[in-house]
Amino acid sequence: MATDLLNILPQLIVLVTAVTVLCLEMARRPLAGLWCLVIGMSAATGVAVDMLGTETTAFSTTFRVDALSLWAAAILSPATILFALLARAELKDQVREGTIYSLMVFAALGAMILAGSGDVMFLVLGILIGTLAGMAMAAHPRNDPSSEGAMKYFIYGSVAGAIMLFGLTYWVGLTGTTLISALINPDLSPVIVMFGFITLLAGIGYTASLFPFHFWIPDTFEGAPVSVAAYLSVVPKIGALFVLAQVVREIPVSVVDWPLILAVLAVLSMTFGNVVALWQDNVIRLLAYSTIAQSGYFLLGVIGMGQSGLAIDSLVVFGVAYALMNTGAFAITLAEGTRLDDFKGVGRRRPWHAVGMTIFLLSLVGMPPLAGFVGKFLLFGSAIESGYTWLAVIAILNSAISLAVYMRIVVPMFFQEAEEEQTKLYAPGTSFVWISTFILTIVAGIGVQWFLGGG
Amino acid sequence: MDFSSIPLLTITTFLPVVGALVVMVLRPKKTETAYAIGIATTALTLLSAILIWIRGFGPGLSLIEEFSWIPSIGIAYRLGIDGISFPLVLLTALLFLTALIFSAKIKEKANIFIQLVLMLETASLGVFLSLDLFLFYVFFEITLVGMYFVIAKWGHEHRKKAALTFFIYTLVGSLFLLLAFLALYLFSDPNTFDMRELIANPQITGLAATLTFWGLFIAFAIKTPLFPFHTWLPLAHTEAPAAGSAILAGVLLKLGTYGFIRFPLQMTPDAFREFSPYVIVIAVFTALYGAFVGLAQTDIKRMVAYTSVNHMGYLVFGIAIAAVTTTTSGMIALDGAVLQMISHGVVTGVLFLLVGALQDRTGTREMSEMSGLLKVYPILGWLFIVAAFASLGLPGLAHFPAEFQIFLGGFDVYPVAVGIIIIGLPLTTALYLRAIQKVFLGTLPKEFSGVSDLNRRELWAIVPLIAGTVIIGIYPNSLLSLIHATTNFFGL
Repeated sequence: MATDLLNILPQLIVLVTAVTVLCLEMARRPLAGLWCLVIGMSAATGVAVDMLGTETTAFSTTFRVDALSLWAAAILSPATILFALLARAELKDQVREGTIYSLMVFAALGAMILAGSGDVMFLVLGILIGTLAGMAMAAHPRNDPSSEGAMKYFIYGSVAGAIMLFGLTYWVGLTGTTLISALINPDLSPVIVMFGFITLLAGIGYTASLFPFHFWIPDTFEGAPVSVAAYLSVVPKIGALFVLAQVVREIPVSVVDWPLILAVLAVLSMTFGNVVALWQDNVIRLLAYSTIAQSGYFLLGVIGMGQSGLAIDSLVVFGVAYALMNTGAFAITLAEGTRLDDFKGVGRRRPWHAVGMTIFLLSLVGMPPLAGFVGKFLLFGSAIESGYTWLAVIAILNSAISLAVYMRIVVPMFFQEAEEEQTKLYAPGTSFVWISTFILTIVAGIGVQWFLGGG
Repeated sequence: MDFSSIPLLTITTFLPVVGALVVMVLRPKKTETAYAIGIATTALTLLSAILIWIRGFGPGLSLIEEFSWIPSIGIAYRLGIDGISFPLVLLTALLFLTALIFSAKIKEKANIFIQLVLMLETASLGVFLSLDLFLFYVFFEITLVGMYFVIAKWGHEHRKKAALTFFIYTLVGSLFLLLAFLALYLFSDPNTFDMRELIANPQITGLAATLTFWGLFIAFAIKTPLFPFHTWLPLAHTEAPAAGSAILAGVLLKLGTYGFIRFPLQMTPDAFREFSPYVIVIAVFTALYGAFVGLAQTDIKRMVAYTSVNHMGYLVFGIAIAAVTTTTSGMIALDGAVLQMISHGVVTGVLFLLVGALQDRTGTREMSEMSGLLKVYPILGWLFIVAAFASLGLPGLAHFPAEFQIFLGGFDVYPVAVGIIIIGLPLTTALYLRAIQKVFLGTLPKEFSGVSDLNRRELWAIVPLIAGTVIIGIYPNSLLSLIHATTNFFGL
């Protein structure tokens, strides 16, 4: 038991942090809560990074301590700090400011539990914690758009979660255990395994915003505070995609051809996300659709699980890259405004914001030597090594479409003049977030070696 | 310090970026200071490239500089040089120097312009010197971003559309390149991104080799460009500022043709041989298409752009001949193709600069609106005539030895194809003579009040390139000996 607790130390620290931050909010001390969050999540990051390379399980193999779960903790803990700083910049001195902090930590905990799930119960638990906390955050402003967005999030979540639970009971009935690893038996009935897998995809696809489970994304993002939208675009997604990798590695391809199913989902998500994003005039909605597309790229790494030596590396590296570049792009959006028109003339007003945004967007396209490039490079490699060259071809064509999408933000920044000369004020916390992610987006792209070797 | 231990290739590659950083940090208020820094940097880079020549290098890839980078997947920082990349490095260093001298008139956001151009130079040099697929790709892509901003900010009237078309179109190409690189990596044993290994024993075979070859082909055909992937070129060349067009035509197109030699020819030679008839058909068609469409242009800059397409057709034809045959004719054709890269870089570079100078003076690129300009601009006119004659392949000037070798090599294997492609020569002759006649001969409009002829700055940019044209034309062996040592080493 004691070793079990030691093995899940990063997650435990996050849990303690979440409860403490919640208590501080009850005492109406939001700033203390923020500090507590920063310290707690830094500690969790440190422990997770220190534990990297451990391969073990906890609680009778129901929770996995491996590259995926540790990297999830190591990515999501510092990311949560950045999102909390953004939230501070955006929501400072509003009532219930502190609840956002504690909900952020709770949702991060949910994502981290997901990423290490070796058991159906943990999987369901992780998705529920994440969804409930995320829904409450999305509803924070208590106005019509945010309530509508949160309601959509909640209803889609309930339905998808219920379908998933229903299907997962079949798996449990079939194998007689809740352990995911029990699915590895090739003699199981393909129909039932398939049924369970499809329903599981509903739950995970909803959390990870994969097509066709993405409907809540644009409205929820638009209604929520920008910092919360940024949070929802990164944290639950990484948790959900990592658990998908944890599940599929146990399912024999001979029983269910899951790579093909995921490949189809990847094509749909990428193409839908990028093409619809071309039409958006609101930067948040544009980025919302782009996150749907980015989820599709993630699937190229999931497909490689068990078939390509690059699969886990690609998921980790793209996870890091995605967290960095998406956070940075949302941070600058928070500073500059959410309409495309707000970005006109940024290159003249605040040249460094324009440079930063350009770097984040080019990284999302996959331009070297930025972090997003290395991530995509490994993802494509994983897909090709698994025999899915056609998928890699579609993914690169999508990258070209996504360039057109992101240039819709870059062009007004440099080549259009603002109609009225206005300089929006923004809090210094925003600068801290975008500058740190800006530097890391470049450093992580060049120093990618540091993230490799997860097996 | 021991001369031979200095990492000359790394210094050559990254000197321009150092200059860009100096400009970024100092933020000179006066544009003259900024250009002085920029021009000094490019001059030092040229000097560094000449030092490589003085130090000397073997026929194979030599002067290797290698550092571990991402050892988990066999990626390293690897640079090296041979007789094919060196002339291109020299060309790049020379063209960037002259282009920057020529653009010193650009006052708008000059600091940023200089930084972008210097970044472009590092990226271009990096492409020619990289010996690692990953590193190659990194440099290859950075050229796109740099060029996009150069066209979109400092170009002519339709610059934004042209820049975006260029960016997206060529991005598609480089993404195919990425896939092909991954295939080369995954099918090598042990897996490696080291280009020396991949060249020494190409292991990829069968369907994988076929797909990889076509991936590489599309990538480089877009960059070169070959018909039907050329549609971005006239737009981008016409809209870019003069120095941008010179760099685009002189250096960036060479990334494609250099790629054809380094990758399909050296890494998937069997697949290239198998599909070379298709490549030859495309190359012949491209050459004729470029010449015919060039003949129909009224915009002088667009016309020069289309002659680029024509010359690239000859060039790829030469490479394809080298893929077909391992006899001496293949080698002759390849020698010619490599020399053609340099000739085209120098000649088209100077043509774009001259057209830019012409546009600055007349305010138009329409040939029908210009006439009799030789009387007011004798220097500009005569230099243009020399460059045009070089471009149409007059003996004694740069293109002649290159094209002669390509046709000579090709005649042995595909005499019919040579018979067809050679039709391009009278066509380009016609289009240049027509342009000279319209723009420089005839009567000068009465009310014409022109500014003065080429000034000192423009001459400093243009004369070295004209000199290069003449030197290559009269004494091609200066470069051919280097090139031939390497093509000979290929064992073709």
